[in-house]
Amino acid sequence: MKTNRFASIPWHILFIGLIIILIFPIIFAIGTSFKPLQDAYNNVLNFIPISPTLENYQTFFESLDVVKITFNTFIIAATVTLFKVFTSFLAAYAFVFFHFKGKNILYFVLISTIFIPFSVTMIPNYLVISDLGLADSVWGVILPQLADAVGIFLLRQSMKTIPVSLIEVARLDNLGHARIMKDIVLPLVKPAVTSTGIWFFILSWNEYVWPVLILKTVDNYTLPLALQMYISSEGGTNFTVAMAVAVITMIIPLTLYLLFQRYIIGTFTSSGIK
Amino acid sequence: MLKITLTKDHWKAYCLLVPSLIVFVLFMFWPFIYTIYLSFFDWNMVKPTKEFVGFANYKDILSDPITYKVFGNTIFYIVLLLLINLFVPYIFAFVLDVVLKRFKNFYKGALFLPSVISLVVGSILFTWLLNPVSGPAAIILGWFGIEMPIWSKMDGWVIVVLSVITSWKVFGYNFIVLYASINGVPREVIEAARLDNVPLWKIFIHIILPMSSATGIYVLIITIVQGLQYVFTPIKVITQGGPNYASSNAIYQAYHEAFVLYRTGHSAALSILTMLIFIILLILEFKFVERGIHYEN
Amino acid sequence: MKLFVKMCSVLTIILLLVACGNSSSAANGKDGKTVIEYWHVNAETQGGKTVEELVNSFNEQSDSVEVVAKYNPDMYKGLMQNLQAEAASGKSPAVVQVGWSFLDYFSNNFSYVEPQEVIDQHFSDDESFLKDNFLPNVMDLAKNSDGSQVGIPYSLSTPVLYINKDMLKEAGLNENGPKTWEEVREFSKVIKEKTGKYGFYMQEPADNWATQALLESNGARMLTDGQASFASKDGIEAYQLLTDMVVEDETALHVPWDQGVQSFIDGNVAMAYTTIARRSQIQENVQFNAAAVTSPAWEGKEKRLPAGGAMLAITAQEEDQQKAAWEFMKYLYSVESMAKWTEGTGYVPPRKDVAEAEDGLKDFLAENEMMQAAIDQMDGVVPWTSFPGDAGLEAEQKMLDIRDEILGGKVDVKEGLTSTEEEINTLLKK
Repeated sequence: MKTNRFASIPWHILFIGLIIILIFPIIFAIGTSFKPLQDAYNNVLNFIPISPTLENYQTFFESLDVVKITFNTFIIAATVTLFKVFTSFLAAYAFVFFHFKGKNILYFVLISTIFIPFSVTMIPNYLVISDLGLADSVWGVILPQLADAVGIFLLRQSMKTIPVSLIEVARLDNLGHARIMKDIVLPLVKPAVTSTGIWFFILSWNEYVWPVLILKTVDNYTLPLALQMYISSEGGTNFTVAMAVAVITMIIPLTLYLLFQRYIIGTFTSSGIK
Repeated sequence: MLKITLTKDHWKAYCLLVPSLIVFVLFMFWPFIYTIYLSFFDWNMVKPTKEFVGFANYKDILSDPITYKVFGNTIFYIVLLLLINLFVPYIFAFVLDVVLKRFKNFYKGALFLPSVISLVVGSILFTWLLNPVSGPAAIILGWFGIEMPIWSKMDGWVIVVLSVITSWKVFGYNFIVLYASINGVPREVIEAARLDNVPLWKIFIHIILPMSSATGIYVLIITIVQGLQYVFTPIKVITQGGPNYASSNAIYQAYHEAFVLYRTGHSAALSILTMLIFIILLILEFKFVERGIHYEN
Repeated sequence: MKLFVKMCSVLTIILLLVACGNSSSAANGKDGKTVIEYWHVNAETQGGKTVEELVNSFNEQSDSVEVVAKYNPDMYKGLMQNLQAEAASGKSPAVVQVGWSFLDYFSNNFSYVEPQEVIDQHFSDDESFLKDNFLPNVMDLAKNSDGSQVGIPYSLSTPVLYINKDMLKEAGLNENGPKTWEEVREFSKVIKEKTGKYGFYMQEPADNWATQALLESNGARMLTDGQASFASKDGIEAYQLLTDMVVEDETALHVPWDQGVQSFIDGNVAMAYTTIARRSQIQENVQFNAAAVTSPAWEGKEKRLPAGGAMLAITAQEEDQQKAAWEFMKYLYSVESMAKWTEGTGYVPPRKDVAEAEDGLKDFLAENEMMQAAIDQMDGVVPWTSFPGDAGLEAEQKMLDIRDEILGGKVDVKEGLTSTEEEINTLLKK
């Protein structure tokens, strides 16, 4: 349509403006991570370093075992994500395709946990973890996070769009529930599974309040915890090293996203169902 | 709905719920019940003795003007977050999908970028970027003779800026999810409408909105729930709830009572009240919104 | 059906594996050493490296004790938070840093042993270690309101005035900075007029440390006989000066701490009143001629500067842990360790003789002139007031709330302070 070409220009401008606002802080962070701290203080506007340096990264790599820490972060985020998606999937399936006693109440009670602030659960959870002997271990961080009401909510939303008749036919063909989940439901709700998965991964990757409580030795740290080591209200924040840690912290989720971008957006859109 | 063939095996349904339930019972319900219990006591978290005070904590909370200020702030946060992270991305996603032809992949990728970054980083970063005297934003505004307000100490402003910082992270994810949903709306429907010269805003309201409403609700819920939890980080890093509670929200306040003032009972009572309000919202959502949703097949 | 049962059980198995795999992790150290935990708050910008060095060198030279250091983000408040969780689970670290403002809260709620008690029981050689090496007024900082010696002062900081000499010169002012608070106000006015920049910034963290220095130096007292008394004539006068600078003159900056220091470093504010712990951040990053001068006084009055920082307290419960705790602490309080600690953190050494000793800080002080200001004003150091009793932290919070109100220009100083004082006193009476 010919009207389109011109009509779209203001929108392009808006998009570019928005992108500049969203991306500038990242560029600023990356630029700053290559600046000496003194330079960062005194030339805020030159976000591209005049004489780039690796000293901030060096400081970080020298004081901590970055590979180990990155590995810890990854293990935690990946395990948490896989389990959350798995348990949510099972629960959502039960809520959508089964009738059972107390279903609505149970669902409601589960979902209302979304609104429990973490300040409520923190200390009691610590007691449980500590009793299990899991303090100062990545498993202690993982364990309370193996299920998530948000996941159940999302996947249930998504599964509700599947025609019940489809499942009924499959049941009449004597297909087991496991097969139905795997071969019928999963492909249909893949977009929702993907989007919740990404959500959980990012959430867990950046989490720090809970890991701070559980993890003690530096070798068990996660990246966001390492970042905390450069922030202090009394001694001041080492801004440039903090930014270097931030850059390293964002690399993995960012690479994952860029690598799988097409696939991710694809799963969202390929099936007719969201 | 017909689910006759599925109803005979109740136990399987429970079995499917068991994994989630174990985790919930241990790490959500138990702490929650414990919190309800604590909300009737005067305690400071470590003292060996808890003093039973009945509803005194609730009375204190409800008679404290700060509580109302904080709930007012909470609503302000929700409104702002919904505006920036539901309304705006919905429109942008629609435009990107229906109106624009070029640079689509670039836009999608670029807009998503900030969502992978932690808000701790975001908070430190914006403390610098938005330093009202020394930050780049202030310097650039200075070129035009505009003096940047000292936002961290001003009522209203502080909530706006903290919401913007939070939105910086939330926007991209919401955008991508909404985009995917809109992208799934059958092309023929949209094309047909366009050939009939239906204005874009009408297409948006009458076709896109209803057909993507399931995702819309998802984004709505996630923006409210996660948004409030997310704002916690910039509040803690930048303002600690100040000036005089002007930037505190319900979740931060519960934290503040528990871990700054060590009034465990107050914190518990406040958390319970907050949950009650949210649960009422949830019931409303079930009653009115979900009924009208179009689950397209 | 089989598949279905399998799926249900897979998760349980994994959970079990996880649990089992971990329960074997040993709690006892290598070679039969007693393992103790040392909890600190020192981020890398605040001596984190030094903590690591000290702990490592201690572990190397000790045959019987192995120390594990745990960093707690979010300062002493964060440490308290983690300590609560740990105490609730029935365990405790052996040595913890306790911030001065938590002195009462800590001693009322956690179990600790007085260091002297441990020494008397197990280390008769060290009997007079504390008496010999610490000034009584310094040791008093770590005494709670019941007179119990909760711990031993470890990190000591005081507020100093950092000045931008170049800017003062440019404005035609005395390069050596103001001596009194009245001068601070005058200086700031001139700076604003001559350079258009802000004259002054006073740190605004979530505590009343600097406020106490300002008020008490003018003769006011935060507490008198267990009652809040800061809204006296002197207190109001002192607060009024700061408020006038922020609200009326607009010569003082009113922003969060990090932003304020950032603006001093990049030359947008001429003078900053903040802790000596920020010395290395300022010293290493300024591109102008910067100096630190002693805290300003009020015309004709004596300075009273609250001590910032922390003490070390022993929270170990078992006897062998307590013994190990003292062995470690004794190492930390040696002249060499103290000197390293001061160099790494910028804190003033609480122990006698460290500043002058050859193996101590002599060279360091010669190189870092800014430290001198903090050391010079040690005789004016008083304990950081923590409001007593269960409502103490709430009272402290009320002071913060009114700071925002007053400096935001929303209430009059006299009215604000008076009503806050009344509120606090009703709280304390409860």
